[in-house]
Amino acid sequence: MTHQALSLLAELTYRCNLQCPYCYNPLDLRAYADELAEDDWLRVIDQAAALGVLQIHFSGGEPTLRADLLVALVRRARQRELYSNLITQGTFLDDALLGKLVAAGLDHVQISVQGAHAPLADAIAGTAVHERKVAALARVLQTGLAVTLNCVLHRANIDEVADIIALAEQLGIRRLELANAQLYGWAFRNRAGLLPSREQVAAAAETVASAQARLRERMEIVYVLADYYERYPKPCMHGWGQRFMTVAPDGRVLPCPAAAAIAQLSFENVRDRSLADIWEHSRSFNAYRGMSWMPEPCRSCDRRAIDFGGCRCQAFLLTGDARATDPACTLSPHHALIEHAIADPGAATGAERLVPRRA
Amino acid sequence: MGGEQSIPAFSRGVRLRRVDDSRTVLLVPEGIVNLNAPAAATLSLLDGARTCDDIAAALSARFSSEPAAIAADVRELIGRLAAKGWVVLRTASR
Ligand code: SF4
Ligand code: SF4
Repeated sequence: MTHQALSLLAELTYRCNLQCPYCYNPLDLRAYADELAEDDWLRVIDQAAALGVLQIHFSGGEPTLRADLLVALVRRARQRELYSNLITQGTFLDDALLGKLVAAGLDHVQISVQGAHAPLADAIAGTAVHERKVAALARVLQTGLAVTLNCVLHRANIDEVADIIALAEQLGIRRLELANAQLYGWAFRNRAGLLPSREQVAAAAETVASAQARLRERMEIVYVLADYYERYPKPCMHGWGQRFMTVAPDGRVLPCPAAAAIAQLSFENVRDRSLADIWEHSRSFNAYRGMSWMPEPCRSCDRRAIDFGGCRCQAFLLTGDARATDPACTLSPHHALIEHAIADPGAATGAERLVPRRA
Repeated sequence: MGGEQSIPAFSRGVRLRRVDDSRTVLLVPEGIVNLNAPAAATLSLLDGARTCDDIAAALSARFSSEPAAIAADVRELIGRLAAKGWVVLRTASR
């Protein structure tokens, strides 16, 4: 494996007007209040392009809370021939901002909804925004911009997956991402309330598969699995430090958006060092790069070049050691942690209620 | 799909990017597709004006290979990308 940076996730801010309990942002949101300035971000884009990065994803938090900055960065990304993607929940996407983004050269936008219908979706978002989002979606589609509709699935909304697909059909969406919640940050805090049951996951997978077959020519449905219910872990980030990097709002560069939680590591900042230097030489990016760091059972496993031992952040969150085999793997000596969590989802940690994300 | 009278063009949100002399990729929504040399040569001729046949003719002139085989390859590739939604086809009016 040779590593080559291809994709950069630019988290412009962790601020957000919604409070999704499945948010993977870190719990200590206030620690990121000292946000990078426009000059810093422009430099990051220039350095990323020089490093060979081809796609940039503007995210957060809610990136449109820094609308002027966002437009300037999309423009610079286009100048550097980077493909730009905006990941937003859409509540601020009015015609004026949309027009500026399209003029600046935005290639694609991913907009999320919290569910298929207002009462539940609004309850998950923590505020009444569903109808406004659907209206925003219709406007975005009218501009002709390439759109992915995203919905994060969990215990409270996974049963209405058919309705979410129907909503996407109604709107004329070409690409739909249905992503089982990835349990980091606030989502990990809310794991007990978010984890669906095995029956729920099986029913959703069946509904999605039949919709994929039925809509083949009209809509691509990307289904992100619930790794707690899989036999093997996800090939997280296509391997640590192989393709992806994230720049957090405060300028720290992370091999994975959830990596800041790994207390065993510290992360370099684009205010102090160049992106190329950090990518190539930092201790954090090299910590789990390649395969030589792997312990057993990964070290001698046939699948180590397929899934790279799973997710380092999940290994840390569950075992306290980021080097461990991802416990989601059925071969992991820690797999009982997963079995215990799914044995009685909703009661595993005793946390009954979902805690809304807040600063 | 990809018949001789159809004109292929990239969909919104899809861009061909020549990275260097030996590497061209297709940038698509939330993904990067590596292209082999024949695919890269074919797709670099997509301009929303040429028909699939025009593209095949240009390629067989450039690589002096059998026109019928090239035309079949072009149609196959364009058809695959169209099924993915990355290329749209419109019918030539002539
Ligand atoms: S997951 Fe929800 S709370 Fe978190 S950034 Fe996205 S919209 Fe905001
Ligand atoms: S043991 Fe490691 S390499 Fe093998 S399947 Fe599990 S996580 Fe992947």
